[in-house]
Amino acid sequence: SHIQYERVGADVTMKCGSMDWDAAVTWMANGTDIDDSHLNGSYLILKNVDLTQSGQYSCYEGSSWHLKYQTTLRVGGCWKKLDVKERGKEVVPPKEPVLMCRSNNYPKGFYCSWHLPSPTYIPNIFNISVIHGTREMVCEKDVFPKNRCHIRYLQLFSTVKYKVTLTVTNALGKNSTSLTFDEFAIVKPDPPESVVAKPVPNNPRRLEVSWQNPSSWPDPESFPLKFFLRYRPLILDQWQHVELSDGTSHTITDAYAGKEYIIQVAAKDNDIGTWSDWSVAVHATPWTEEPKHLTTEVQITDPVSGLLAETGMIDGKKTAGRGLNGAVWLISRAVA
Amino acid sequence: MAAADTPSASLRHHDLCSRGIRLARKMRSDVTDLLDIYVERQGLDASISVAAVEGVPAAAAERWAEQTGTQRLLDNLAAYRAFRVLLAQMLEEQREQLGDADSELGPALAAVLLQVSAFAYHLEELLELESRRVPAEEGSEPPAPPRLSLFEQKLRGLGVLRELAQWAVRSVRDLRQLAKHGPGSSAALGLAESQ
Repeated sequence: SHIQYERVGADVTMKCGSMDWDAAVTWMANGTDIDDSHLNGSYLILKNVDLTQSGQYSCYEGSSWHLKYQTTLRVGGCWKKLDVKERGKEVVPPKEPVLMCRSNNYPKGFYCSWHLPSPTYIPNIFNISVIHGTREMVCEKDVFPKNRCHIRYLQLFSTVKYKVTLTVTNALGKNSTSLTFDEFAIVKPDPPESVVAKPVPNNPRRLEVSWQNPSSWPDPESFPLKFFLRYRPLILDQWQHVELSDGTSHTITDAYAGKEYIIQVAAKDNDIGTWSDWSVAVHATPWTEEPKHLTTEVQITDPVSGLLAETGMIDGKKTAGRGLNGAVWLISRAVA
Repeated sequence: MAAADTPSASLRHHDLCSRGIRLARKMRSDVTDLLDIYVERQGLDASISVAAVEGVPAAAAERWAEQTGTQRLLDNLAAYRAFRVLLAQMLEEQREQLGDADSELGPALAAVLLQVSAFAYHLEELLELESRRVPAEEGSEPPAPPRLSLFEQKLRGLGVLRELAQWAVRSVRDLRQLAKHGPGSSAALGLAESQ
């Protein structure tokens, strides 16, 4: 069956199939006769169509009422090929985007990343501008992730603020958001890496924790990090905290014996910025003494005669029993 | 004056750098507290932007990583000498404006002024150790403070303190670079990484 698409406001001309212009025809729309005033010969003329004129149009030859032509007219706005997931969704102009900037590689530079709080269902273009005082800086777009760009610091220790403006545009409109910040304020390292926690042999209350500087931090020697350690036994909710101004290891000395612990570490530049997120959690249990295997040598004495009946090794604490021959035996001497 | 390459000079160099870092960090902490007091006492909004203040040495540095040890020391020394003058002026202005009514801002300013003086002296010692001539302070009379309205004075003071706080952080970084490269490293380039 034939479908004809037309835009709202367009003028539509329909021909009655192969009929001549001067043939006598009757047009019907959705089963209702169409008035002759819309006809130009055998052509149907619809001017400035609106959505209500969508429907089935049929053309019949004058006297025989043979159906000569039929089409479904669809009047609409912008057409978009819709994905199955998007059917029934409204295409919209963008809402105010969400923007964040951070330096996890101080003093090299910083990055900004963004996203829309809700989808628009049509393509969006993002434009970002970074201004430092009077100077416009270039934010180089990352290949991955997509909505991210990075900037190299041209100056360090500047008191002049940075202003980052993100504009998002699509076919239906635009929106934007801005961030203004100091060089120091956005410094936030990545969490420490390779956190390892081990029990300490012969020390039931100790756990040795070690970690490494995040690999994204370019110069930990000149820009040292300080660390925050938190730990708790799995069975409790309260964390213990330790702040460490240098070094990448620490020994916990007040662990509860035999309990499994969960441990995390965070990092911060010694002088500026904020704490990183917590590292991946590691689990460890302090060293515990192995229960000793008690091996007892026994001499089995016949309780009636007092004579030695049998000797053998018996594990555990049993001190009397009945042998296979029915005799009762008592342990008269035990050697651990 | 020990030559820059003897073991005792190395030790002294390391010692001066470590103490300098501690001084700078304490100074930064006190300047931060002073900023809070200043903003409150002068009735200012902490978030206002102040344009670059004339006569205040900017802490901002391009190609900071490439500076030599000597350059770092000279830049720092010039800055803290300037701050010594500026803070003395601020102290004078504050006494005129608030007088006896203020018991908090004056002492806080004086304490920071003391630390700035001490740090400048500390930098001079480091420069001497590097076998460098310590530059003489320009002129015996400090330049007259510019004629400003009361409000302009307050804003200028804010600018001075903010820049000083920034310098304190930079000085910590500068001294670490210095410690890393040892005495007499002024001939060698500092960290040659691309920024």
